[in-house]
Parts: sequence; structure tokens; C-alpha cells
Amino acid sequence: MNVGIEHYVVVSAILFALGLLGVILQRNLLIIYMGLELMLNAANLALVAFSRFNNNPDGQIFVFFIITVAAAEVAVGLALIVALYRKRQTVQVEDLARMKL
Amino acid sequence: MEEQSQLAQYLPVLMLGVLAVAFSFGMLVVSVIVGKKGKRSPIKDTAYECGMLPIGEGGGRFSVKFYLVAMLFILFDIEVVFLYPWAVVYREMLKQNGGLILGAMLSFLGILFVGYIYAVKKRAFDWKS
Amino acid sequence: MNLALLSHEWLVVALGLCLLVADLWTPASARRILGYVAAAGLGAILLYSLIAVRPELQPACGNMYVLDGLALFFKRFFLAAAIIVLLMSAEFFDRLQAGIGEFYALVLFALTGMLFAASANDFALLFVSLELITVTFYVLASFQRTRLNSLEAGVKYLIMGALSTSFTVFGIALVYGISRKLNFNDLAAVAPQFGGNRIFLFGLLLVLVGLGFKIAAFPFQLWAPDVYQGAPSPTTAFLAVGSKAAGFVLLLRVLFVAVPDITAQWSRLLIVISGITILYGNLCAIPQRNIKRLLGYSSIAHAGYMLLGIAASAATIANTTQNPGAGAAAVLYYLGGYLFAVLGAFTVICLALRHVENEDIPALAGLGQRSPLLATTLTLAMVSLAGIPPLAGFFGKFLLFKAALAQGPAHPAYYWLVAAAIAGVVISLWYYFGVVHAVYWSKEAANLSPISISRTMRATLYACVAGMFFIGLCPGPLLDCAAEAVKALRL
Repeated sequence: MNVGIEHYVVVSAILFALGLLGVILQRNLLIIYMGLELMLNAANLALVAFSRFNNNPDGQIFVFFIITVAAAEVAVGLALIVALYRKRQTVQVEDLARMKL
Repeated sequence: MEEQSQLAQYLPVLMLGVLAVAFSFGMLVVSVIVGKKGKRSPIKDTAYECGMLPIGEGGGRFSVKFYLVAMLFILFDIEVVFLYPWAVVYREMLKQNGGLILGAMLSFLGILFVGYIYAVKKRAFDWKS
Repeated sequence: MNLALLSHEWLVVALGLCLLVADLWTPASARRILGYVAAAGLGAILLYSLIAVRPELQPACGNMYVLDGLALFFKRFFLAAAIIVLLMSAEFFDRLQAGIGEFYALVLFALTGMLFAASANDFALLFVSLELITVTFYVLASFQRTRLNSLEAGVKYLIMGALSTSFTVFGIALVYGISRKLNFNDLAAVAPQFGGNRIFLFGLLLVLVGLGFKIAAFPFQLWAPDVYQGAPSPTTAFLAVGSKAAGFVLLLRVLFVAVPDITAQWSRLLIVISGITILYGNLCAIPQRNIKRLLGYSSIAHAGYMLLGIAASAATIANTTQNPGAGAAAVLYYLGGYLFAVLGAFTVICLALRHVENEDIPALAGLGQRSPLLATTLTLAMVSLAGIPPLAGFFGKFLLFKAALAQGPAHPAYYWLVAAAIAGVVISLWYYFGVVHAVYWSKEAANLSPISISRTMRATLYACVAGMFFIGLCPGPLLDCAAEAVKALRL
């Protein structure tokens, strides 16, 4: 069997869908956040694969930017979740319902 | 020929993986089959003689300071990723446009340095207090 | 490579970094002054931009960055918005325990992201600028970290923002994979041949989903009311004006520079989204009791009105009429009026309700007696947002509807869209008038002590009122600027 671009794209699409399912189905903020990271990395995989198969380095440069930005996002996100936990002693999404109507 | 062997290269990895899984599960299965089963009751599971009674939670909590340092580490660590492609093209770019290639990285590091100063002044690296 | 083109960004970043460092050595009592310093610095940059910077046809950074008329229009727009937001936050500082210096610096960093977004001509810069805005707004929204509402707003924005980012990035990956291009101009050259490629179109759709989150268009608007309500008022103001406008400039670039041919096929989709967004925002705003939440829903509705202009422009790509840029120019003009109305309203909320825990509409009772200036400004802002002549909002809506009606003869769907939009305007009169009613005629006023307003805030309020009147009564100059700016698009 020959591994072609389709295989990479399919794997990355599966990873993306798994991440999205995690975001939708999970109730714990930290696990939701892990799902979001999985989605970003699915996109990274697709970009690197396309870049390799298209013989065009732009995609890999772009992945560098995504990785660094994602790191910044994780740092801010975790800090926020910790701050919320200290205040409320919970990281469940159901408890985020103070503001309604 | 080479095209076909693309997946074949991964065969040892696959074999190792299968072996690892088989070994660990096999050990569990073998221990269930071969091992002696003692009679268990809640009384038997308690500590006796010199055994210590467990105090507190199972997983000890880490200090919040640790999390702060870990987060700063992630940030400063990841930003280094830009240095690699820069270093690769540095020698070549230096001939064409030296000021630009040097200035770009210096301004990037300068911004990071301001962030570092900020973290130091805010005592984010201070373990003791 | 021309680094001088990036002068706006360099100056704002330098100002932000200086502020961050200066804050470390400034005594706590004097930190508030830094806000005025930052606002003055931005004023100088805006002045420099108006006097010295001309649209440049030469792109920078390997064609990633352009400084055309559209970019300049939005850069000045963002600078003006940030100045007012900084002045507002200097006034708001007593409610921020965490230290105000970082707040100013973060506003400036978000502004940098917006300035880059205005010039983005490449998916990489689009992504980086969008993220710079979003990540700073996570912090800005949760800046009152001892207040639960603010934290909750921050976390909700975090999850929804990160989700939209993932969609955008995956969409970009698919578009790049099929077309091998990240640059908008390069993409425009090859995009027509991928018009039938499902993966390419799906990727493009995912990019639009991400931008839809930013402008809070239906069905990606769920975060807006909660975040608007929970975030500190200056943050909400900047979110409503700056972040939304950044979403629109990127939307304009992607739709009309990168893939104009595909946009023409998608005019029907844009019509549907625009119509639903208008009706949803206006209908949901009616039962709201919290003024910031009400403005959140109203901002969804306004995103719908502006999408109407974009939908009108999308139709002109296929069949060139006499004035192809009318829809996009109307969007720019509308944003100008929206800037002053929204910032005026939030300045009033900041001043009048700063010592009230929940910004409920009944808390505005008696404002007419407590401070005539605040009451007048809020009333004028509501009137302008509702679209009643002679203020800015009226002429903006008029232009948008006119641009859509011009497409009516070819596509009858535009008639329906305008009908929905007019229905939306009529509905909106109800809740905007509810606010005015609470200000002047409410009987439940508990507190009638006059509100003292500092001199800078007075000037800010006058500037907002003057802006609303000037843009409404004398639309010529802004309209010329807008028409000039949209020439950068391929309409």
C-alpha cells in the first residue's frame, strides 16, 4: 500500500472531528480545551502534509505560527480556567450559567 | 520498489507495538491464571502492624508557583521555534539584506525580552514568597 | 521590502511595550495617568496617519501586507476607537483591582492586531492578526478576575474563540492544500478553476465560519450576549467596535480580493445569513433587562445590516451595475456611524452605572435629572442605532438598503432581504425606546444624586455626539473616503 496525501487528509479530518466531538460532548472545561487543541493540531497535520506533497514550504512556515499562537492561547486559557476554579471550585460548563436572558 | 516499501519501513515499529501490547496483557492474564488467589475481605485490606494509615488525598497538590513557571516555560520555549528557520536562512540572507534579517530577529527577541522583564518584575520566577 | 509601510504597527507596539515597562516602575496612585499618556500617543499616531501617510500600492513583507485605501480607512477607524476606549478605561479604573497598566497595554496590543488585520493580504497574516486580537480579548474580558460574571465571560469567549480559530485554521489548510496558495492575490488568480472543487469550497466555508464568529453573525452569535454582559464596559465597547470591524475588514478582503468569483455564487447564502441575523438580534433584544446584554443583541443585528451590504456587493460581481462598490462603501460608512453611537453609549454606561453591580436598565432611571449630558448622549446613541434621521445610523441604513434594492431587479431575493431588514428596524425601535423611556420617564428612580463627569469624559461625550451628527448631517466626506477605500476590492 502506498501512503498518499489522501491518507493524511483523512487522518487529519478524523482528528478534527474527534476534537469537535470532545468540545460538544464533554462537560469538563479542561477536556474541552484538550479537544480544541486536538482540532488545531489536526489542521497542522493537514498543512504539513499538503506542504510536503505540493512541494511548497509556505504551509510549514504557517504551522510554526499556528504552534506559537496556540501556545500563547493555551497559557492564557489555562490561567483563565485556574482563576475560575479558584473562584468557584468547579470547571464544569453547567456551572457557567450566571448570565441568562 | 521504493514506493512500495514506504509502509514496510514501519513494520518493525508495528511488530514492537504488537509485542509490547501482547506482553503487558499476557502478564496480566498469566498472573490471573497461574497466580494464587487469596481470600479477600475489607478487614484484610486494612493496614496492620507497622503499616501507616493513609492521610490526606492520594495525589498531592503541586504549588501554584509551579504552574506559573511551567506556563512561562511553555511560552518562552515555543517562541524559540522561530529561531530555527531563521538560523537556516541566515547565512544566505546576510549577503542579500543583512540589516533586515538581523533587525527582524532582534526586534522579535526584544519584544520577548520585555515580556521577560515583566515576568521578573512581577516576581513570577520567585519560588519562595 | 519596505518597512516604513508598517509604521502604524511599529509605533503602536512600541507604545504598548513602553507602557508595560513604565507600569512596573510607576506608583499605583499614578498608573491611571498612563491611560491618558497612551491615548495622547495614539492621538499623535492618528494625526501622523492623517497628515503623512498616503495609500501605497507597493505591498510589503512578500505581498503579505498591503497599505491600500481600505487598510488606511480601517487603521484610522481602529485608532479612533482605541483612543476613546483608553479614555473610558482610565475613568473605569477604580473597578479594576488587578492593576490598570496591563489593561492599557493589552488594549494597545489588541489594536496592533486590528491594524495588521486591516492590511492582511495573506491567510498567514489573517490568522496571526485575528489571534492577536482574540487572545488579548480573552484577558481583557476576564480582567475583573474577582467578579464572577467577568470570569465567566472570559471563559466563554475563550472556548468559542478557540473553536472559531480551529475552524479557520482547518479551513485555511484545506484551501491551501487544493490551491497551493496562501496569498490573496495569488489565490484570486487560481480560485476560479476550483469553483467546483468541494474540498476547496468547504475549506473556504470554514474560514467564513471563523470570521462569522468574530462579527457575531447567525448561527455563530451565541457567545456575544454573555460576553458583552460580563466583560468590563471598556472591553465590551472595544469588542463591539474594534473586534467586529476587524472581522468585517477581513471578510471584505477574503470575499472580494481572494475569491470574488466564488463570492458571486454565494450571494444567496449571504442573503439568508444576513436576514436571519437581523431578525434574530432584534427579536432577542426585546425582553432583555441588562443594558449591556441588550447592546450585545443589538450588535448582532447591526452585523446583520452590514452583511446586507456585503451581500449586495456580492451580486455586483456577477452583473456589473453602474455603482459596483455601493454595498461595500455603505458598510464602511455604516461602521463610521456605529463607532460613535456605540462608544457614546458605552461611555455613558461606564459613567452612570459604574457603582452598580448589575447594569440593569431600571438602574438608569432618573438619569435625565442626574446628568442631562449623559442622558442626552445615551438618547442620541439609541436614536442613531435605531436609524432615525438625522443621525448617522439613518443614512447608513439608507445606503445599505439602497445598495441592496439596486440588486432587486436581477435577484428578487434582495427585496425580501430589505423587507426583513425594515421589519428589524421597526422591532428595534421598541427596545431602543425602552432605554430612552427608562432614562427620562421611569418612576422608580431611587438615586437622584448628580453624577460628576471629568473634563476628559465630557470632551469624549461631546466628540461622540458631534461625530453622530456630523456623519448624519454631512455624509459627503466620509462617503468619499469609503468609496475611495473600496476601490482596493475587486468589485
